Amino acid sequence: MNLILIGMNHKTAPLEIREKLSLSCLNTVDPIAEMMNIPQVREAMYLSTCNRVEVLAHATEREGVLESLKGFIFFHGNLPPEELEKCLYVYFDDEAVRHLFRVASSLDSLVMGEPQILGQVKDAYYRSVEQKATGIILNKVLHHAFRVAKRVRTETAIAGNAVSVSYAAVKLAKKIFGDLRGKAVLLIGAGEMSELTARHLLNSGVSKIMIANRTHARALQLAEEFNGTALEFDHLGESLRSADIVISSTGAPGYIITREMVDAALHGRKKHTLFLIDIAVPRDVDPEVGDLDNVYLYNVDDLQEVVDENMKNRRQEAQKAVAIIDEEVEKHRVWKNSLAAVPTIVSLREKTEGIVKGELERCGPWLKTLGEKERNNVEILANAIVNKIIHDPIIGLKEESQDHGNTPYVAAFRRLFKLDDT
Amino acid sequence: MDVLFFKVALAAYLMTTLGYVVSLLVKRVAAAKASTWLFFFAFIIHAGYFGARCIQTKQSPVLGMHDALSFLAWIIAGIYLAFQLKTRTRILGAFVSPVVSLLMIVASVGLGAQVSIPATVQGHLVPFHVAMSVAGEALFVLASCAGAMYLIQDGLIKRKKGRSFIMLLPSLGDLDKINRICLLWGFPLLTAGILVGSIWARTVWGSHWQWDPKQTWTLMVWICYALLLHQRLAIGWAGHKAAILSVAVFIIFLVSFIVTNRLFTTLHSFI
Repeated sequence: MNLILIGMNHKTAPLEIREKLSLSCLNTVDPIAEMMNIPQVREAMYLSTCNRVEVLAHATEREGVLESLKGFIFFHGNLPPEELEKCLYVYFDDEAVRHLFRVASSLDSLVMGEPQILGQVKDAYYRSVEQKATGIILNKVLHHAFRVAKRVRTETAIAGNAVSVSYAAVKLAKKIFGDLRGKAVLLIGAGEMSELTARHLLNSGVSKIMIANRTHARALQLAEEFNGTALEFDHLGESLRSADIVISSTGAPGYIITREMVDAALHGRKKHTLFLIDIAVPRDVDPEVGDLDNVYLYNVDDLQEVVDENMKNRRQEAQKAVAIIDEEVEKHRVWKNSLAAVPTIVSLREKTEGIVKGELERCGPWLKTLGEKERNNVEILANAIVNKIIHDPIIGLKEESQDHGNTPYVAAFRRLFKLDDT
Repeated sequence: MDVLFFKVALAAYLMTTLGYVVSLLVKRVAAAKASTWLFFFAFIIHAGYFGARCIQTKQSPVLGMHDALSFLAWIIAGIYLAFQLKTRTRILGAFVSPVVSLLMIVASVGLGAQVSIPATVQGHLVPFHVAMSVAGEALFVLASCAGAMYLIQDGLIKRKKGRSFIMLLPSLGDLDKINRICLLWGFPLLTAGILVGSIWARTVWGSHWQWDPKQTWTLMVWICYALLLHQRLAIGWAGHKAAILSVAVFIIFLVSFIVTNRLFTTLHSFI
């Protein structure tokens, strides 16, 4: 069995090259069909995301196929082979399996632990399935990869914590309020990060959003976009009264929210907790506000620190994930080795012998009524029938295994007789 | 038989505590999940203990120091498990289970001893008095557990520290809610317990209130809780201040319990 994986990712190739390759493949041709046209290729898969372009193939031999697959990439990369060659990585067999497991588990992603990649690998696999370009080997490897990815997600905290400032703010809000449903957000000023945070909060169940902007027209526009209400910028103190979460990102040179303002706002209302996110530089909220009871103030540096720490945690968790992947690659290797003909014949014999023995034991009471001689004859008969039945499959298997491409045959054989436990 | 139930329950509570501590140390939820099931198991066995004791003594199982402490532990465990069903506050168990285990260890001192029951506490009102007072106190214990966790987390969030630890705790909002609910339920229960006790006191001692040291201290604790509830409901205290006050009142409660039992001779000497 030869498993070959060739590809390039965000670490090995600049965006322009990946872009060219993936565009060319998507627009002009059917990459899977093209790979399947290479004579020695039995199964193929093509994965293309914004951070990687990879092909995975199962072929009857290695060197020639590698050249053909590289040729396929050079052709679509539309660049001199020497230049492309530098960007490529090539893995065979176990290493190819390991790389695939790493990719599916999001260890190889730009943002380690991001959840989309698994879906993208699944899509790529289903496209191959649709085109009947997968067989016993790729099916097994890919399903194994999905299982590994799931294991990594549940057993490590690799995808656990927020790794973007806006998402970290949402996590923190959940930690403070518990349930965000029914909570109100006040968005002061505008900007990419504050709008993103507001959007995350809305997705997490926040029900009301109020927008204050020095340019009222801009506030109206955002209010429409977020389905919220626009407030007068000059009455910030009043607006604070009805807010649970405040996101501030104005270009004001000084503090626009002072301790007195917040203190006054808190006294005039029933709700007690206030979470302020100050994304502006220079800061919008007087740091003293954070000293008030039940008021939590985070500025952009605080949030960045959260993100950095989470990133560090993810890298630690990645170590655990690597251990899991090692273990699973080993499991896969064991499965692959079982595909050789001899162990398969041995396990078939073991299985049939077990069945005969079991059935004879079941008939034990009746057998006891027979004489010694008859009993022996029954046993001989039972064994003879079974051996006759499995004789031809075993001969067929031995003959097939002379051919280099026997593994799918052996694998099918194992499945037919249910020789693997899983 | 009943002694065996008690021992199994105690062992299970201790293992639960261990499980929660492990879960906090390795920062994994799986250990805490297992602990919750173990906690539930211990709770059931513990209930079996009360049943067995009831059959054996042919009366209310809650008389004397040993029973009262173990009953308190059982009620706390039950309330926590009820919260666990309703809210996602699993890790509160890490604070509750040590309290439960500790109460059980102290209770185990009097395990199996024949309690001579004074005539004054043989009456149909006594079990109600004990059950309501103990349940009220159990709710206060939980309220202050939640309060303590609130204070720890509030400090960590304000100082922007200990994030991986914070991730394991229930949110501030949930903790505040638990604190509030426990106070709201605990206060009327304790009040009713005291009232029933005072009605019984009239039958056995001749008057409703004897100004016994125990009664005085209890009244003081009751007033503290009344004050706390007032601050919460009427003044609108919540979050930080309410948490501080509930922890403080609980400390007063503990001190009064120890002081009256150790330093004073009291009419109310059975518990």
